Amino acid sequence: MKEQIYRWAGPSLWVLGLGVPFALSANWISILALFAIYAVVALSQDIVLGRAGMFDMGHAVYFGVGAYTTAILNVTYGWPIFWTMIPAIIAAALVGGILAAPLVKLRGDYLLVATIGVSQIFHLAMVNNTAGVTGGPDGIFGVGVPSIFGHQLISQGNEYLVDWGLLGIVLLLMKNLEHSRLGRVFRYLKEDELAATTLGVNARYYKILAFALGAGIAGAAGTLFASQLAVVSPGAFVFTESVTLFAIVLVGGQASIPGVLLGTVLMFVVPQVFRELAQYRYFAFGIGMIVVMVVRPQGIWPRRRRMG
Amino acid sequence: MHKKLAATLAACSLAIAPVTAMASGTVTFGVQAPITGKYANEGQGIEKAVKLLAKQQNADGGLIGKTIKVRVCDDEGKATQAALCARRLSNAGVFAVIGSYTSGAASAAQPVYARANIIQTSDGTADKLTQRGFKTFFRNAPPNSAEAKFTGNYLVNVRHFKRIAVVSDHSSFAKGLGDAVEKAIKANGGNVLTRAYIKSGSQDFTSVLTSLKSKHPDVIYFSGYYSDGGLLRAQEKQLGMDVPFVGGDANQNVAFAKIAGKAAKGTIIINVPAPENLPYKAAKQFISAYKKAYGSAPPSIYTLTNADGMRVIMKAVQETNSLDPNTVENYLHNKIQKFPGITGPISFSKNGERIGSAFQAFEIQADGSYKTIYPKQ
Amino acid sequence: MSTLFQQLVNGLTVGGIYALIALGYTMVYGILKLINFAHGDLCVLGAFIGLTVITSLGGASGSPEIWVVGLAFVAAIIAICCAGVVLEFAAYRPLRNAHRLSAVVSALGASMMIENGIMLIWSPQTLVFPQGVLPQISWHVGGVVITFTQLMIIVISLILMASLYLYVNHTRFGTAIRASAIDQDAARLMGINVNRVIVSVFILGPALGAIGGLFIGLYYRQAVFDMGWTYGLNAFIAAIIGGIGNIPGAMLGGLLLGLFNALAGGYISSTWQQAITFGLLIAILLVRPTGILGERVAEKV
Repeated sequence: MKEQIYRWAGPSLWVLGLGVPFALSANWISILALFAIYAVVALSQDIVLGRAGMFDMGHAVYFGVGAYTTAILNVTYGWPIFWTMIPAIIAAALVGGILAAPLVKLRGDYLLVATIGVSQIFHLAMVNNTAGVTGGPDGIFGVGVPSIFGHQLISQGNEYLVDWGLLGIVLLLMKNLEHSRLGRVFRYLKEDELAATTLGVNARYYKILAFALGAGIAGAAGTLFASQLAVVSPGAFVFTESVTLFAIVLVGGQASIPGVLLGTVLMFVVPQVFRELAQYRYFAFGIGMIVVMVVRPQGIWPRRRRMG
Repeated sequence: MHKKLAATLAACSLAIAPVTAMASGTVTFGVQAPITGKYANEGQGIEKAVKLLAKQQNADGGLIGKTIKVRVCDDEGKATQAALCARRLSNAGVFAVIGSYTSGAASAAQPVYARANIIQTSDGTADKLTQRGFKTFFRNAPPNSAEAKFTGNYLVNVRHFKRIAVVSDHSSFAKGLGDAVEKAIKANGGNVLTRAYIKSGSQDFTSVLTSLKSKHPDVIYFSGYYSDGGLLRAQEKQLGMDVPFVGGDANQNVAFAKIAGKAAKGTIIINVPAPENLPYKAAKQFISAYKKAYGSAPPSIYTLTNADGMRVIMKAVQETNSLDPNTVENYLHNKIQKFPGITGPISFSKNGERIGSAFQAFEIQADGSYKTIYPKQ
Repeated sequence: MSTLFQQLVNGLTVGGIYALIALGYTMVYGILKLINFAHGDLCVLGAFIGLTVITSLGGASGSPEIWVVGLAFVAAIIAICCAGVVLEFAAYRPLRNAHRLSAVVSALGASMMIENGIMLIWSPQTLVFPQGVLPQISWHVGGVVITFTQLMIIVISLILMASLYLYVNHTRFGTAIRASAIDQDAARLMGINVNRVIVSVFILGPALGAIGGLFIGLYYRQAVFDMGWTYGLNAFIAAIIGGIGNIPGAMLGGLLLGLFNALAGGYISSTWQQAITFGLLIAILLVRPTGILGERVAEKV
């Protein structure tokens, strides 16, 4: 019975979410639309950090690669938004994979530091208008909105539904990953790399794959992010954003889908609600992070341990 | 599918449509500014200025009889938060929005305000802001290009510098201004010796300065912010360089002279006149009221340009006796002529650009005060 | 040639500051395997407390006496040590046996709390240290300029580092610190009070950090609430370059990073200076992950 509830709670909530544009105010629609995008990025971070166990503190880079790819293709070359998603995914996955190739041999904190370095270099490269396509510190203005069958999805509600759709797809993907061979390999690597290697797992290959997979999903979110804000600028993908993503996974619970979603709510939606507190907000937020970790070191909703 | 989309569209446009607050006898002004984060100083200044103006106006009987309410949204200087703020404020039924401070955040909010027909006034200096065809957008500070034109002429034709070093930080504003100045110098037939960058806030600029020193420039032009500029000047002197230092508008802050200390003397800053040097009656009144209310001077000229943005909008409302955005926008675009602002006369071009700003070059004196040296008065 | 020597003097000054801050990272990491992301902000807090002492006792205009500066250092050190101990007790100790990353997130939260706390108390403005706090003397040696402040920073940093080195390597308690860093359980079995060692590390690190923070304020004559990240990150990189967990490594890393930044900014490209620094960091990690002085130790998983 309990199993049944667990199985159906998630999908029902998602379906319920489809009603948001009809039930809630514009405020909430825009907050939840960005929530969906950040949730996708956080889930993709979880593939690398929570599932494959690699300390990646530069995940906003891949999100940024996707967003920039979309912005450049749409603004400079006039591609429709949905079409730019494919190259955005590919570009982000490639960047993720290529960067990971040398970096995955680093363990633990060393990898964490290296990814911090990557995120700083990426930010500077965008600011310096590398290759003359990133628009420098201003970024790229005027990214269009997606369209279906010639209809521009211009309203907040439609944007929201597109974001929610992507979140649904990614959730399905994560669910499948959880039960797939690939997901199990990631878990072995996280829990005991040595043992996994002796069992014949090519650790390096799977680690690079985890990075590429996580990066590609973040890239897809980047496409929608660029379209929704209509502007892409380096400030949205700085190191502190990566830190937030990192914290989302740990505050929520590693390798736990509801955990990561809850983490996103706490780290992204809650600050929106307390906007009126303006300057006191992040002070309280910092204390909150400490308290949550002390009270629930495994995260708010840790992964359930399977019996047997 | 189509039906559903149409329904969604309808639902959303209903949600967006400004909830007119007129009947209730109040009018809401929004402030979208970085209240936290790196630019908190500037953002809180803007918030204070708007609240002060609202209080003054309310004490004066309100705006065409309605009480002004102020709603603040912290955009942290980030595009993401700016887009959320824009939605939040437009949903709160604001009539106009003052902000934001950074060009990036202002631009992310632009389309949202434009769609909801909410008047927006920002000091963001990126040229692109007024090139996107939003009739709701009014820039309250002069754009980079106007300042660059003045600077290029001043450096090349007035001071006859031959070896100009242009230094910027990586911010949108400083890099944009630096690029524009570099272009203007070349347009005036001048010579840019080198272009160097500092990292804002890193505080140690000696490595950049030492390598500049070996190239023997005859002037250093710096397009970034005062906190870095003051240090740059101090470290320049500390390294024994005796080269004139010309700073862009963001160096114009009382803290510049404090940070640079003795080295501040002789620094030249290009901007519209400093708050305390503003010759306009409105300026003296506003600054003294601000000091009285908050116990300190406005953090920078942008506090004042944003205050001007709000003042000119209120003026247009009063003149048209209307809170209809289209009427007010039309009035701002076409009818406002040389409105006596805190920061000088204000008029707007067709695309919402502030025109006719009077730039000056002034020199910091031994006591930290400013003396205008060009144009001659 | 004088340009090169000038870059060296500048680099050495900043390097000294980095090294002082880096020691805080490295000592905590050595024992707890925790990256204390709040350390940079603690140092900045030290600068603000020092500034408050100087401005309130020194009068707004006049140049403060040298004893005021001394008092500022004492006040900053005491306050930051207390803050360090409280932080350890409230935010890190409860997570001693949890997943390593839980403590990292707790540290990130602490960093956010301190940074925004400084903003709330001291305002978001850039605060300026009064001029003339330290003697305004500078020496010109063959085209190279060195100021009193620079010399003071370099000399005091070196003295502090040497003392710490001697303390850790040649006293009983220093031995306990080293033993706890190598193997906590074994140290405990040998009768070492590991908790006391950890507290002492959270006193020593912040004390040096407070001095580093106040040096930043006195050298650049300004303090702003969000500068903790910049210095924290640089000092942390310094600790890694030298070999994290290794005390002489942090000193060497700090000085090297200061020099490297000065030379990269001066000779290669000021546009890409930061990227070059991080590029170097990644290269060092790939070639010699344990840093320059780090020993190859078994991976703690």
